[in-house]
Amino acid sequence: MSWKKMIPLFVLVLVAVVAAGCAAPAPTGQSAAQPAAAEATAPAGVQKLIWSVEGVNELPGLDPANPQNAQSIQAINLIFGGLVKLDDQLNVVPDGAEKWEVSEDGKTYTFTIREGLKFADGAPVTANDFAASINRALQPETASYGASFQLGHIVGANDVAAGNAKEASGIVVVDDRTLAITLDDNVPYFLAQLTYPVSFAVPLQAVEKDPTGWTEKAFGTGPFQVKEWQHNQKLILEPNPNYWAGAPSIAEVELPFFQDSETAYQLYRTGGLDIMGSQQNPVPAAHVAEVKDSPDFKTVASFATRYIGFNNKLAPFDNPQVRRAFALAVDKATLADKVLSGAVTPTDRIVPAGFPGSQLPVKGLAFDAAAAKQELAAAGYGADNPFPQVTFTYGAEGDNERVATFLQQQWKENLGVDVVLQPLELATFSKNLDTTYLTPEAGLQFYLSIWGADYPDAQNFVSQQLRSDSPNNNGHFENADFDKLAMEADTFIGSAEDRLKLYNEAEQIAVDQVGWLPLYSPSFNVLIRPEVSGVVATGQGLVFPDWSQVTSRAAQ
Amino acid sequence: MAPLISRRLLSLIFVIFSITFLTFIVGSLAPGDPILVMMGPRRDPAIYENLRHQYGLDLPWWQQYFNYVGGLLHGDLGMSYRYQGRSVNEILGGGVGVSISLGFAALAVSLLIGIPLGILAALRQNSWFDRTSMITMLALFSIPTFVMIPILRAFNYYVLYKNGLPSLPPAGWGTPAHWVLPVIVLAAVSMGYMARLTRSSMLETLRQDYIRTANAKGLPQRRVVGVHALRNALLPIVTVIGPAMAFLVTGSFVVESLFAIPGVGFIGVQAISQRDYPVIQGTTVVLAVAVVVMNLVTDILYTVLDPRIKSEG
Repeated sequence: MSWKKMIPLFVLVLVAVVAAGCAAPAPTGQSAAQPAAAEATAPAGVQKLIWSVEGVNELPGLDPANPQNAQSIQAINLIFGGLVKLDDQLNVVPDGAEKWEVSEDGKTYTFTIREGLKFADGAPVTANDFAASINRALQPETASYGASFQLGHIVGANDVAAGNAKEASGIVVVDDRTLAITLDDNVPYFLAQLTYPVSFAVPLQAVEKDPTGWTEKAFGTGPFQVKEWQHNQKLILEPNPNYWAGAPSIAEVELPFFQDSETAYQLYRTGGLDIMGSQQNPVPAAHVAEVKDSPDFKTVASFATRYIGFNNKLAPFDNPQVRRAFALAVDKATLADKVLSGAVTPTDRIVPAGFPGSQLPVKGLAFDAAAAKQELAAAGYGADNPFPQVTFTYGAEGDNERVATFLQQQWKENLGVDVVLQPLELATFSKNLDTTYLTPEAGLQFYLSIWGADYPDAQNFVSQQLRSDSPNNNGHFENADFDKLAMEADTFIGSAEDRLKLYNEAEQIAVDQVGWLPLYSPSFNVLIRPEVSGVVATGQGLVFPDWSQVTSRAAQ
Repeated sequence: MAPLISRRLLSLIFVIFSITFLTFIVGSLAPGDPILVMMGPRRDPAIYENLRHQYGLDLPWWQQYFNYVGGLLHGDLGMSYRYQGRSVNEILGGGVGVSISLGFAALAVSLLIGIPLGILAALRQNSWFDRTSMITMLALFSIPTFVMIPILRAFNYYVLYKNGLPSLPPAGWGTPAHWVLPVIVLAAVSMGYMARLTRSSMLETLRQDYIRTANAKGLPQRRVVGVHALRNALLPIVTVIGPAMAFLVTGSFVVESLFAIPGVGFIGVQAISQRDYPVIQGTTVVLAVAVVVMNLVTDILYTVLDPRIKSEG
């Protein structure tokens, strides 16, 4: 019997099985999953937004003091609010504070808390709530991974983080509506740092009542509050009736979790989701061709740069000429168009396109095989002194394998250098990166990595990644001119443009000396159903500028 | 039967302890520090030490193990490394009900379709029906889960959804419609196996002398097959229910992950990638108990079907 004849039979069996499957399920497990009830409660005419959270099957937590991954931040930003937030142009705009003043030396910020600001439960929010929330995030008992990093410039923050004090001396509650924060230096990116969840206002009474369980019904000063957290499945949010900008028009936001973006895509295309795709987990590349002409498809270059890092403390990459040779030998256009099917934007610089500072040009090391060979020869490698075999390390995930193989071939063809590839499971890879930072002589030679923005300020890319004293400078890039410019910019008093010029000069040095070998910015591909309005795709993720104007489809 | 059960319960304790010990040793030998995974690339060394202390990871491994076993004896599977302030009991608690109900639904479907299909095929040996149904069953048995899922989803999307026919949710959990695809996928393997096994076992039984006697006595065919043949033919089927459950358990890791179903397999896979050792150990213990209990149930069923076995127990 031929296969063609078998197909109808196979379909028949399938249908039979489907029918049987419909009838079979015993209701025993229903109580554990407790599903339909929540979906059925929304009355007709009410709008509901289903927005997938991808890459995880559960949120690690909803405490803004300890946002452990991008997925948590996606949810935290809907529930909580801080003193300031970002708008859809990524400017810092008022949130819980209606205005603020900066002292002339740039070290003291005086915030005026919004009049009548309330938590979702109706309790008033005062300057003291913000002060206490920030102190709580810093305290070692909170075990926040990011707080002391993001808020470390506040005077006394390090004493609190070390457990020597309960309150940072730099945070002063002047009166109910006035909060003064003093920094140890002029930190122009401080306001941008305050848009990161660690400084958000948390309802301390609820936290004290149930220190481990309060996030099950988390609420704050954001547009929504938790209605129900179905663990390992979804988070259901309802509007915060006391939201200062007016309660959202969407009656319910559902955030279902999907470990695998493919699963989310399947659900989207059968009408089960309103929004899918995030910076970390964009629409799967395999499906981009299917959807790229659909009105649902939106794409922007994300604020992230995939790059190659070098161990600057180990030969042969301690020599800038060798690093330049490796940079000049990579044809990034082919990498982006052919290897990664156009899903990325190639780049020759450190600051991603569209990010503050990217408007000033940088002259990159464009692909030039002849120049690459010259650099390698100038570094003293040739027939009589062959280049040693080197090992290129990367985390075994996503497109890394294909990218690494392509790079290996480029360096072989254009430089005649043999590179051994070393894929490592992600956790092991980060451990190795760590070793590279702590004990460079025992570390990796060069590696594939990525950096995504925490907050929209050039400092977050230039200084934080490559200043010789930065803990993020895993490869120990060190250049005195670069350091001088970056340090000056980090504490600059004056116009924003002049400050960006300093970063631009520093970036040019880092590109010339190959502190990083930038490859590309991944595209942030997202699918948004046409019924959804009031959402803007930015390089930093999706932004809903005004929740009262957001519409979605009617709930069933 | 009592000695059988008590012996099994004793072995259950032994199995659980061996399993906790093995997962514990593998976990502590494996590269990758769970606290590092938790904290990510940027961290404060003081907080790192603080967390290691909180989770008792600064203790020698044997002490960590004894602490774990101590907790286990109180029914406490420990605290998750990954989810702040949540216990393993709580994390797995929700998943167990989901996995059990899904597993039983799949088992029921595979038995309800596989056995009758096998019997019919045996009664019509070498007919058109026999050949096609057995080839289909062989296909179901052989197609890997991760191949079957995209086929079903493509069918659901292109044939049903695109044509405005009632379609099924391709993933998720909650309504009865969410059960259909995962149950089909989970049931497929054991259904194929059951059907083929029933057929051969039935053919074997039908050739026995006592069936010929029954036929010679003039008993109606329905009674010969339904009572005399079936009961004996089912014995091998009962034997494989245990292993079939084990199939469902291993299958659940893939199926639950790909369908985003919050069961034990799904939680286990996630825990492995996050080095959440307490949850990995908890998953292993729960699954080991499930398999041992299923085997016990199988043994009891066995004695019901074939009284001779009881005396040997």
